[in-house]
Amino acid sequence: MKPRGGYNIRVAGRPAGAVEALPEPDTLYLPLRSRRFNFSEICVKDGERCGPGHAIAKDPENYFVPLLAPRAGTVRLDAVEGHIVLEDVAKLPEETYHPDDDLPHVPKDLGSSGMKRYKLLALGAWQFLHDAHTNALPDPFDTPSAVIASTIRLEPFLARGDVQVRKRLVNFTRGLEHLQALLEYQPIHLILPEVDSDLASRVRDTLRGHAWVNITYVPLRYPFDNFALLARGLGLKYDANSPVWAINSEGILAMDRALTMSHPCTVRLISLGGPAVDEPKHLKAMPGYPIRAIIDPRTSSESIRVLNGGGLTGDTVLEDQLGLDAECTGLTVLPEHTEREFLGFVRPGSDRRSYSRCFLSTLRAPAAERLTTALKGERRPCVSCNFCEEVCPAGIMPHLIHKLLYQDELEQAELTRIDLCVECGLCSFVCPSKIDLRREFIDGKQLIQEELHSEEVEA
Amino acid sequence: MRLLLGILDRVRPIFEDGGKLRPMKPVFDATENFFYAPSARTQNAPHIRDPLDLKRFMSMVIIGLAPCVVAAFYFFGLRMLAMIVVSYAAGGAVEMLFAVVRKEEINEGFLVTGLIFPLILPPGLPLWIVAVGVAFGVLVGKEIFGGTGRNPFNPALVGRCFLVLGYPGVMSATYIVPGSGPLGRLTEYVGVEAMTRATPLAEAKQGVVAPIADLFWGNVTGSAGETAAIAIIVGGVFLVLTRVANWRTVAGIIGSFTVLGLVLHYARPDDFAPVGWHLLAGGLLFGAFFMATDPVTSPITNGGKWAYAVIIGAATLLIRNLTGYVEGMMFAILLGNIAAPVLDDVAVRLRLRRLQHEG
Ligand code: SF4
Ligand code: SF4
Repeated sequence: MKPRGGYNIRVAGRPAGAVEALPEPDTLYLPLRSRRFNFSEICVKDGERCGPGHAIAKDPENYFVPLLAPRAGTVRLDAVEGHIVLEDVAKLPEETYHPDDDLPHVPKDLGSSGMKRYKLLALGAWQFLHDAHTNALPDPFDTPSAVIASTIRLEPFLARGDVQVRKRLVNFTRGLEHLQALLEYQPIHLILPEVDSDLASRVRDTLRGHAWVNITYVPLRYPFDNFALLARGLGLKYDANSPVWAINSEGILAMDRALTMSHPCTVRLISLGGPAVDEPKHLKAMPGYPIRAIIDPRTSSESIRVLNGGGLTGDTVLEDQLGLDAECTGLTVLPEHTEREFLGFVRPGSDRRSYSRCFLSTLRAPAAERLTTALKGERRPCVSCNFCEEVCPAGIMPHLIHKLLYQDELEQAELTRIDLCVECGLCSFVCPSKIDLRREFIDGKQLIQEELHSEEVEA
Repeated sequence: MRLLLGILDRVRPIFEDGGKLRPMKPVFDATENFFYAPSARTQNAPHIRDPLDLKRFMSMVIIGLAPCVVAAFYFFGLRMLAMIVVSYAAGGAVEMLFAVVRKEEINEGFLVTGLIFPLILPPGLPLWIVAVGVAFGVLVGKEIFGGTGRNPFNPALVGRCFLVLGYPGVMSATYIVPGSGPLGRLTEYVGVEAMTRATPLAEAKQGVVAPIADLFWGNVTGSAGETAAIAIIVGGVFLVLTRVANWRTVAGIIGSFTVLGLVLHYARPDDFAPVGWHLLAGGLLFGAFFMATDPVTSPITNGGKWAYAVIIGAATLLIRNLTGYVEGMMFAILLGNIAAPVLDDVAVRLRLRRLQHEG
């Protein structure tokens, strides 16, 4: 695949391949919201003692995807706003799954593929699936037109897909087979890094003879791991009736766990990276794990900003979120910007990494920079430097859309294909005028939905 | 240097809301952020940003202009210093006035305009005319359109165009003869009382052709910063390498100028001087590297840039050789500026047609 645009930002704090298991917690704080889900249907009572893998809440908007209790514990519903708290957490042996749990929304005659899907949903593996184009949770009882299984994650810093696949290649292959069993004849596109790593050749060898897997190689440049871009690159068009599913290696492993061992998938591998982390690494963590207990012992910086996700698309973890949410893939910790450099703009800048070539570092071998939350300049009008267009992986013209949105020309913005934006954030990153392009486009897309397409939805 | 930050912190309240000098806040902000990198933090994802900002971007142009400034000092003396100071002062006053009235920030773009402007003027021009020109350029070329980023024309060229049309006599009679020797005119302050002489392009119309070597080293009459081809090339290549000036624009102008020049020279050698000579004479190189590449007033799409560059290159050659004007670069770039939005529009349409079938 030959994608366009993209750029690798070199930031200090890339997590190493090592995986650390976090100490067992006493209390878990499970947020009721995550990026895609809102677990509004509570399935447990205050004070109830629930076992590991028990569904404590469900999201009725998303096919009743469950929020599973990662450990045994006593439920507190009103202790912390927006969370279910599990007290006196204990690690008990996991009960295996009982298919006779009642799930009213599941069709009666499931068949074997249907039973598997139901199991995936109930055991927390289904939430790893995405609609490649919309990023939403796909309907478990739909048939996709194709599946994208990606082993790469490129945003600084999210859990790297290869870390797990390396150790569990057998499980990974078995997970792919389970995935294939859900399909009829639709292809699975396996995304491997273009660089010839030993992992890639091992995966290739293992999958030799699996004719239903099409291997596609992708250059390791951010954000070519984005599902929507991969789908476009593979020529898979958006069709609401037969969506394209997408899943990361972590999800494939979860499928194997759920279908081979019938165990709930509650522990996740997350990354802990960023310039403010003393020793960036991967962590085995479970939803609800107290965030402060993860961060505090692992940073020596005074003033920090913690992001749920990567440095380019992650959201700031607000004060009122106490535990990891159900979809967290990584925490990025940035030092807050405090130092003000004297006459910074005339310095030669041999320690600066820039997309432009305006710093002396251009002449040096690339090195990672300790980036902070500094805006690195002042907000200015667009000077038409075209950097945003060069890096944009979607092939659209961010500067033009910016001008159209500024003039409230929503129709024009739509014709200029604002919908192709995958919200990777590279345009905002490179803009010398420090325009918040990504934010504008997210708001703009929503405005277009509301103002121009609201009738369609009603009709 | 903590001291200065302390002083700034102490006087800041005067410029904040409720302070006595609130209207002057843009001036204070510009001063503060000139000395100290701004304290602003990101509010939204992406939470990290590239270190390039507009100050840095514009200082690159100033560094690129440095060889031309040095050459101008050498050939035309200390008068250049006065011209630069006047240009910055008069243009800066207009810029500041508008920033205060509009309650907007003072924009770095002016740092470039203020330096480029004296470099494209005859070196003996009376200082008050310099002031009038730059004020007009900034006002009409930029501010009335809403400031940097929204201006369709290059402000320095608007100022010069105004002077050419408004004061044609003074403009053509103030080309000082360049200094020579180890120090050139570095120790002199000379105005029109020194010898003046027509520029090579004007003389060529009378059949007097300056040697190419003189054009290359800059030992000829002409606009202050435009005579020394070598200085322009050194600074210009630097700008292209830093990607502040787009190579397409430069290559397109020089390429189209050369090709058309070659064809016409061989077709009618009497009317058209050899293209190598034309390339080095007058403002072509300076315009190609420093003026036409202004990102704001040139097309933003790559296709548009090529077309824009070809228009400028061809128009310059034709104006020089077929009209009464001896120098065509200024009008050609302004023409290109006019065409830029149209060229972009075409390029954008083609691009959108390709995007239509995506996703
Ligand atoms: S416009 Fe969208 S897809 Fe393109 S660089 Fe910006 S955020 Fe990324
Ligand atoms: S990067 Fe910023 S300044 Fe440059 S063209 Fe894009 S929006 Fe304009």
